[in-house]
Amino acid sequence: MRFVGKLLAVSVCLLSLAGAGAVVAQTAKPAQTTTQPAQTPAQAPAQTNNQPAQGTQPAQGGAQPAQSTQPAADGKAQPAPNGQQPAGGTAQPAQNAASPTQDAAQANDATIAADAGQSQTAEQLATAGKELKRLKELVGKASDDDIALAELKVQVDAVAKQIISTSIATRPRLDEIKARLTELGDPPGEGQPPEADIVTAERKRLLAERGEINALTGEAESLSVQATKLSNGITATRRALFSNTLLKNTDVSFEMFDEALTATINETKVLSRSTMSWLTFVWNYKRVPLLTALFLSICAALVFLVGSNRLFSPYIHHDKSDEEPSYFRRLSVAFWSTFIPTISMGAFALSSFFFMHSFNVLRSDITPIIAIALAVTVVGFFVTTLANAVLSPSDSRWRLVRVSDRGANVLLITIFAMALVNGLDFLFGGISESLGSPVVLTVVKSFIASVVIGLIIIASAWIKPTLKKDEPFDAPGRPWPRIVSIGLILTGASLIIAAAAGYVGLSRFIATQIIITGAILVMMYIGFLTGKAVSRQGAFAETAAGRYLERRYKLEQVGLDQVGLVAGLSIYALVALFFIPLILLQWGFQVADIESWTYRAVTEIKIGTITISLMGIMAGILFFILGYIVTRWVQRWIDGNIMARSRVDAGVRNSIRTGIGYVGVGLACLIGLSAAGIDLSNLALVAGALSLGVGFGLQNIVSNFVSGLILLVERPFKVGDWIVSGTTEGFVKRISVRATEIETFQHQSIMMPNSLLINASVGNWTHRNKLGRSEIAVTVTYASEPRRIMDLLAEIAGAHPMVLKNPSPTVGFTAFGEDRMTFELRIYVADVLTGGGVRNDLRVAIYERFRDEGIGAPFPLKIEDVPVEDQTGIESHEPETVGEPKGATSADARAAAAKKEAASAAPLDEENEEEGGKRRASSRRSNPNR
Amino acid sequence: MKTFVIALLSGVLAAGAVSAATVTNKDGETAVLVVVEGESRMEVAISSGATEMICPSGCFVTTPSGDRIGLQGDENVEIVNGSAIVK
Repeated sequence: MRFVGKLLAVSVCLLSLAGAGAVVAQTAKPAQTTTQPAQTPAQAPAQTNNQPAQGTQPAQGGAQPAQSTQPAADGKAQPAPNGQQPAGGTAQPAQNAASPTQDAAQANDATIAADAGQSQTAEQLATAGKELKRLKELVGKASDDDIALAELKVQVDAVAKQIISTSIATRPRLDEIKARLTELGDPPGEGQPPEADIVTAERKRLLAERGEINALTGEAESLSVQATKLSNGITATRRALFSNTLLKNTDVSFEMFDEALTATINETKVLSRSTMSWLTFVWNYKRVPLLTALFLSICAALVFLVGSNRLFSPYIHHDKSDEEPSYFRRLSVAFWSTFIPTISMGAFALSSFFFMHSFNVLRSDITPIIAIALAVTVVGFFVTTLANAVLSPSDSRWRLVRVSDRGANVLLITIFAMALVNGLDFLFGGISESLGSPVVLTVVKSFIASVVIGLIIIASAWIKPTLKKDEPFDAPGRPWPRIVSIGLILTGASLIIAAAAGYVGLSRFIATQIIITGAILVMMYIGFLTGKAVSRQGAFAETAAGRYLERRYKLEQVGLDQVGLVAGLSIYALVALFFIPLILLQWGFQVADIESWTYRAVTEIKIGTITISLMGIMAGILFFILGYIVTRWVQRWIDGNIMARSRVDAGVRNSIRTGIGYVGVGLACLIGLSAAGIDLSNLALVAGALSLGVGFGLQNIVSNFVSGLILLVERPFKVGDWIVSGTTEGFVKRISVRATEIETFQHQSIMMPNSLLINASVGNWTHRNKLGRSEIAVTVTYASEPRRIMDLLAEIAGAHPMVLKNPSPTVGFTAFGEDRMTFELRIYVADVLTGGGVRNDLRVAIYERFRDEGIGAPFPLKIEDVPVEDQTGIESHEPETVGEPKGATSADARAAAAKKEAASAAPLDEENEEEGGKRRASSRRSNPNR
Repeated sequence: MKTFVIALLSGVLAAGAVSAATVTNKDGETAVLVVVEGESRMEVAISSGATEMICPSGCFVTTPSGDRIGLQGDENVEIVNGSAIVK
C-alpha cells in the first residue's frame, strides 16, 4: 500500500512536470481571443489606393511578393491576387437590388474582428521586432562576455520561435478569406452580365485583407531571418571569443617582467591600503554585522557538517577496527568523505558570502576578491580532500590505489602543491582584475604559475609509487611505468613551452584542466566503481541500506539483488548527471548552453526527418502505467463491491472482470500512445501491415484471441468447472487471451488453445448445476432374493444424507452374470464433486449391511472382487462389495444353488448354448471349491 | 507473443514519431515553393502528385498563389490550385 502511495506521488510529480512542459510549449502561441478595436490604418478603404491601376490586368499569380523588410504599414503593396481583377470594377451598375444586406452586416462584423486579429498580429510582430533590436544592441555591448552571450542566444531563439507562432496564428483567417473568395467566384469577364456592387466590394475588401495578411507574414519572415542571423552571429562571436582567450599570444620578454615587478609593487600597496581601509571601516562601523555574518555562516556549515556526519558517519570515517575493509567499503568511504566535507565547505563559503553581502559588510572593490578567495579555497579543499581520500597516506588499508606509503605521501604533496599554485594564480588574477592592475601583471602571474606547475609535473615523473603484487605497503616502491613517466614529462614540458612561446592563456587553461578536470574525473571514476560494486551479485545485501530493506520489508536474496542492480544503475545515472555538467562548465560552456542542450535532448531528438521526444515517450509510458493501475483498481472494485454483493454468478464475474481488463488496457494503450505524441491515424498503417501478417503467420494467434473473447461472452464453461475435451479432462483454472489452463486430476496443467475449445465439443460436468448421477455396481450370488437386495440397496442409499431424495435413488437389476446377479444402485448428488466420497460411504454401508443381514459373508474367503470401472475416473479402482447368498456356507448348498442358477439362467439368457457351456466350464475351472 | 508485442510496439513507434512538415502537390503541374528557413531562402519544386518533407523546425513558405504561410514544422500541407491547405 505504501509502495502504491509512493508510486502515485512520484507519478503526480512527473505529471506536473510534463504538464509544465506542455504549458511552456503552449505559451509561445499568442492569445487570439481578445478583441481589440482596429487601430492600424490597414483598412479596406485605404486599400483601394494601393491597387494596381484600375482596368489594366495585373501580373498573374506567379508574381512574387515584395521582399518584405518594410514595416507593417508598407505591407499594402501586396502581391497580385490569383484571380483576374475586374475590369473597371468600380463602375459596376447596381444590380440585384435585393442583395442580402444581412450578409453585408455579417461580413462587416467579420472584417472588424479580422482587422482586430491582424492589428494584434502586427503589434506582436512590432514587439518582437523591438525585442530583436534590443537584443541586437545587448549582443553588441556584451561582445566579450561569454556568459551574457549564451543567455542572449537563448532569448533570441525564443523570439524566433515566437515570430513563427505569431504568423501561424493568421493562417485560419487566410483560409477563411480564400474560402469566401472561392464562393464569390471570379469577377465577370467582358461581355458577361455585371455583378452586384456589394459582391464587388466584398471581393475587393477580401483581396485587400489577404494582401495585408501576406504582408504581415512577409514581415514575420524577415524578422525570423534577422533573428536566425543574430543567433548564428552570437555563436560565431562566442567561438571567436573562446579561441581568442585561449590562443592569445603575448610577447614574453625581460621588459615584461620588469614592468610586472613594478606593477606588483604598486598592486601590493593598493591592495594593502584598500584592505586595511576596508578592515578599519568594517571594524569601526560594521563590527556587529561582520561577526553576525561569520557566525551565521559558520552555523550553517556546522549544521550541514554535523547533520551529514550523523547520517553518513560510517561512510566518512575510517573504521580503525576494520582489519581489511572490502573494496566497496573503501570506495564508498572515499566518495562520501570527499563529497560531504566539500559540500559543507561550499555551504560555508556560499552562506558567508551571502550573509556578508546582505549585511552590507562588503565594499565594491573587496567583493570580487572575497568571492574569488572563497571559490579558490573550496576548489583547493576539494582537490586535496579527494587526493587524501584516494591515497590515504596514513592508513594503507583504506588506500584505493596500490601505491607505497612513501609514494602516497609524495603524490599527495605534489597534488596539493599543484592545486595551491593554480589556486593562488586564480586568486592573484582576481585581485589584479578588481584592483584594475595592468594586464601584464596577470599574464606574468599565469606564466609563473604555468611554469611552476609544469616543473612539478615533470618532477613527479621521478616519484617511485608503484608496488609489485606481493610487496608490502612500506616497501620503497618502484618508478612509474615508462609510458606514464614519459607522459608526465611531455605534459609538463609542453606547459612550459606553451607559456614560454607566449601562449600563457592556453598554458594556464591546460594547467587548470589537469588539476580540476582530473579531480572530477577521478571522482566520477570512483562513483562508477561504487555503482559497479553495488550492482555486483550479493553485494547490496551487505550494505547498510540492504540490511535495512531486508529487515524492514523482509526482502529475499533475489529481491535484494534486484534492488542492488537498480541502485547501481541509479548511481551511474547520478554520477553522470552531476559530474558531466560540472566538467562542461569547467571547459567554458555556460549554464544556458547546458540547459538548452538538455531541453533539446529531452524534447526532440532528430534522426533524419523523424523527431523523437523523450519527454513525450516518458509521459506516454506514465499515462499507460496510470491507466493500467486505474483499470486494475476498477476491476477489483467492481468485482469485490458490486458483483460480489449482488451475488452475480462466478462465471459472469470472471467474464466481466476480464473484459474490463482488456478494455482498460486497450484504452490505457491508446491514451499512452497519444500522450507520447504519436498520431493515432498512423496506427491505420500499422494495422494494414498487421493484417497482412494475420493472413500469413498470425492467424492462429488471432483466432485463439477471438475464441477467447467468445468463451468469455458465451461462457460454455467458467473457471473452476470440470470439463472434458477430447482426451483432456480436469478443472478450468484460467481463461486467458490465447489459451485456457486446465488442471488435470493428477495436477498437470494443460494449456489448451481457445480455438480448440470453440471448435471441438466440450463436456462440462458443472455447467448449469453441479447435480450429478453416480452408480455403484453390486453383484450377489443367485442364492439371494433380488427384490430384497433392491430394497436393501435403496434403503441404504436413502439413509445417506448427501444422496438427493429428488431425483430419488434407483436400483436396477442390470445383468444375469454367470454365477452372479448384477445390480446397479444409481444415486443423485447435489455436487458431482462429492460423488466419490458418497460412493465410498455407500459401499462401506452396503458391505456392513449385507454382512449384518447375512447376505454377504462376514469372511473374506467368500468375497469376490469385481472391479467396476469408475465412470468418473476420480477414484482409483477399488474392491467392489459383493454380497454372498444367505447360508452359502456349505459346498452342497452352493452346488445346488449353482445348478438352480444355471437352470434359471438358461431360458432367459439369449446367449447361445455353446457359449453358455463354455462359460460355465471356465467358471468351474476357476472355482476349485465347486 | 512477446515478439509479436515488440514488433507491434516498434511499428507503432516508427510510424508515430513526429516528423517534418510534409507538402503534397495535388495540382496537375509542378508547384514552386519559396521556403525561408533559418537564414536561407530556397526554391523547392514539387512535381505533380509528389510529397516533400520541408523545414523540420519552422519556416515560411510562399505558395504559387502568392500567399505566405508560417509553418511550425509538424504540419501536413496540400497544394490545391496553387494555394496551400494546412491540415
